[in-house]
Amino acid sequence: MFWRKKDKGANAEVKIFFASDLHGSNVCFKKFVNSAQFYGADVLVLGGDLTGKAVIPIAEQEDGTFAAFQHGEAVRINDKTELDEFIKRQGNIGFYPAVMSEAEFQQLRTDEESQSTLFKKLVLERVHEWAAFAAEKLKGCGVPLLAIPGNDDFHEIDEILTQAARVEFHEMQVCDFKGGYQMLYCGGSTPTPWDTEREYTEEQYVARFAELIPQVNDMSRCIFNVHVPPFGTVLDTCPKLDSNLQVVYEMGLPVQVHAGCKALVDVIKEHQPLLGLHGHVHEGRAKINIGSTICINPGSVYPEGILQGAMITLSDGKVTQANLMQG
Amino acid sequence: MSVTNVGGEKRIFLRKASGLIRTASETDTFIYNLGVVSIGLGVGSMLFYGPAFYPQGNLVWGCIIAGVAMAMISLGFITWTVTLPRSGGIYVFGSRILPPALALTMSLVEITAWLFYCAIAAYWIVTLALAPMFSGLSLLTGNETFLAISKTMLEPWATFLIGAAILLISQVVLSYGMRFYLTLNKWVFVLAMASTILLIITLAVSTREQFVTNLNTLVGPSLGVSDAYNAIIASGKEKGWGEPGFDLWQTILVSNWPFLPLIGAAFSIAIGGEIKSVRRSQTIGMLGAVFTATLAFVITVWLAYRVFGFEFLGTAVFNTLSGAGGLTTPTDPSIALLTGILTQSPLITVLTSLGLALWMWMWIPAMHTFGVRAIVAWSFDRVAPAQLATISEKYHTPIVAITVTTIVNLIFMALFVFTPWFSKIVILIEAAVLAWSVVLAAGIFFPYLRPQLYEKSPLAGKKIFGLPIMTVACFLGFIAAQFYFWTLFFDPNAAGHEPTQVAIVAGVFVLGLVFYYVMKMIRRAQGVDVTLAFKEIPIE
Repeated sequence: MFWRKKDKGANAEVKIFFASDLHGSNVCFKKFVNSAQFYGADVLVLGGDLTGKAVIPIAEQEDGTFAAFQHGEAVRINDKTELDEFIKRQGNIGFYPAVMSEAEFQQLRTDEESQSTLFKKLVLERVHEWAAFAAEKLKGCGVPLLAIPGNDDFHEIDEILTQAARVEFHEMQVCDFKGGYQMLYCGGSTPTPWDTEREYTEEQYVARFAELIPQVNDMSRCIFNVHVPPFGTVLDTCPKLDSNLQVVYEMGLPVQVHAGCKALVDVIKEHQPLLGLHGHVHEGRAKINIGSTICINPGSVYPEGILQGAMITLSDGKVTQANLMQG
Repeated sequence: MSVTNVGGEKRIFLRKASGLIRTASETDTFIYNLGVVSIGLGVGSMLFYGPAFYPQGNLVWGCIIAGVAMAMISLGFITWTVTLPRSGGIYVFGSRILPPALALTMSLVEITAWLFYCAIAAYWIVTLALAPMFSGLSLLTGNETFLAISKTMLEPWATFLIGAAILLISQVVLSYGMRFYLTLNKWVFVLAMASTILLIITLAVSTREQFVTNLNTLVGPSLGVSDAYNAIIASGKEKGWGEPGFDLWQTILVSNWPFLPLIGAAFSIAIGGEIKSVRRSQTIGMLGAVFTATLAFVITVWLAYRVFGFEFLGTAVFNTLSGAGGLTTPTDPSIALLTGILTQSPLITVLTSLGLALWMWMWIPAMHTFGVRAIVAWSFDRVAPAQLATISEKYHTPIVAITVTTIVNLIFMALFVFTPWFSKIVILIEAAVLAWSVVLAAGIFFPYLRPQLYEKSPLAGKKIFGLPIMTVACFLGFIAAQFYFWTLFFDPNAAGHEPTQVAIVAGVFVLGLVFYYVMKMIRRAQGVDVTLAFKEIPIE
């Protein structure tokens, strides 16, 4: 033999497609799953925040039409065909359409607890649908879908995703990864102005990393899948909000702040993992280096139905390609 | 899908969840666009070139024609940016529907034109603002040193060095980040606007008699005539300046000059990803800038004609530029110099000139930014080297892309100052308008060819004459862009089609195609298929 067979062991090439913050968008999740075949990825990695932010009540009126809301305007849906199209469109931009009677809508609008219950029900239904879609599409192709929770994700999704076929859902774990690498999974975020589901203080993050780091065998072959980006970088820069969630302006310009995690920066600087995969700050689309560690936030524009992601190739313990994609 | 908008209550239940925050309001968008329009630069250039080269062109009607056309182009781009609200300009739009090579080429052509205009703006700051300011001060104070400074500034090396320094300031400003740039921009805008208002008030309260008297007093002795005003007009007519009158074709041609600055009214397509309430903000931002700038142009032109006189404006510049040896002012008769003569006030001369310079300055970082963002977008799509998207750890800005575009600006500046042929290729604007028209043409078909993307647009379902609103708006924009492509093509003063110049423009298109295919080969060797960056992932 005058040629070598491609090494399928520790130094084999591994192609990762990473995306984050899909926030309920059906079209983006489907693109994400299909990206395995489209980009030829060996592993799909999802960086959290699967769940969306708004329920769109579609209230049936006495005349048989439906009243709803779209792009900042009240709209009237006239028939079943329009209704089906409307429901599909809302799902694609990450909203949860809910058909109900006008009386039910009027009752719901003043009952926040019922709204929350409806919200959670619809979110969990969609996560179930996504898990089923991934199981079907990834069946037999050998591509796993690895996921962590984001700060916006209800805790109830953990069980659904843990039990889903083809999906490997991890939180606060270090697990073996294709090609002899390891992946460190750490979801949630530092506190946000929205007081979301999974928020941790810097002190808590210090403790979380202290728990995870000893489980890493070799930092030079470890990939951090950490939802929150490192603090003080272009990956975590976003506008400052006041207590009313309004953008803070100075001299007519939005004040920019960093929304990342300081403990994470310290850990990356000290331990220099191979790669950091992050999300959370949708505006922070970029690829940077912190020392020798490549850190990526693919950003998110899920309402447009465009999937932003990153295609990363690992070979011989190195990142040989790391490209931001949108498809 | 044709759900009916009915107005009324907000039927949506929101939960507290983190997400993308867009920051630029309609006011920010309006100011951004109006700054790039550069009212002062527009007024200065159209009053300089208009009466001189188009004696039968009606500049007021020209402004209105240009304003209507730019509004049509803006409508097309509004539908594009509402549908794809991301930063990056026509590259973002084109890459979603055009073949990849064409999308990159259109973008490269466009930013080549804008970077070229950075150099032109730097050049004009020296030649149309600073040099006339010192010349005016010399006239008003009798101090010959000012005149010497003015003449020195117009020496090629001095012009280049001052222009290069201005371009390097843009590099520094952008390197410190958008926040620093936008803060500076707002102050510059306020000062520039104040100078324009000062100019308009000055012209409104002045009379032709005042100007003639002052001109004769200040310029007459150096020309050796007592009635310098009429001597300049007579000299111009004798040397070949055409007879005034009205001609529709010349009116259309002269409209090129207001159209050129009005192009800036659509520049907020470059920052689409940062604008909140994008439909409202972009509509107000673009159409508001078109309307405001057109109105300011019309008022200033009308006042300038009333005070300085159409024939004087035309002949003074004609005598300066024709090389026929006609009588004229000591340095270029720019609006800054003429206002100085009118008021005989060194202070107003300085304020008007610096205001003009500030307007011209606003072009530079805005167009520079446009180029930087496009290059970073290419890099993200791997059709340009990855290093171009390198972010400064200290300032969080794309420092390599900023530096590369500054180097291109400096090269353009050198070519502009030191070569006779490059200084005439204002024709590059033709190439940019052609690139715009291609993207607007693509927008006509976007709702049909990319229905999955269009259905998520807030415009989806909105129709005019049974056609998608984007199709109609982009058709109007395409017609207007094509109109100005050909108007510029047939206007040797604003652009033209001299073979060498056309070859240069064609060369930019070829360069774009070559650049794409070279990068494609390089990436293929690296195992990367760049065409994937332009394709939409299937969802079924």
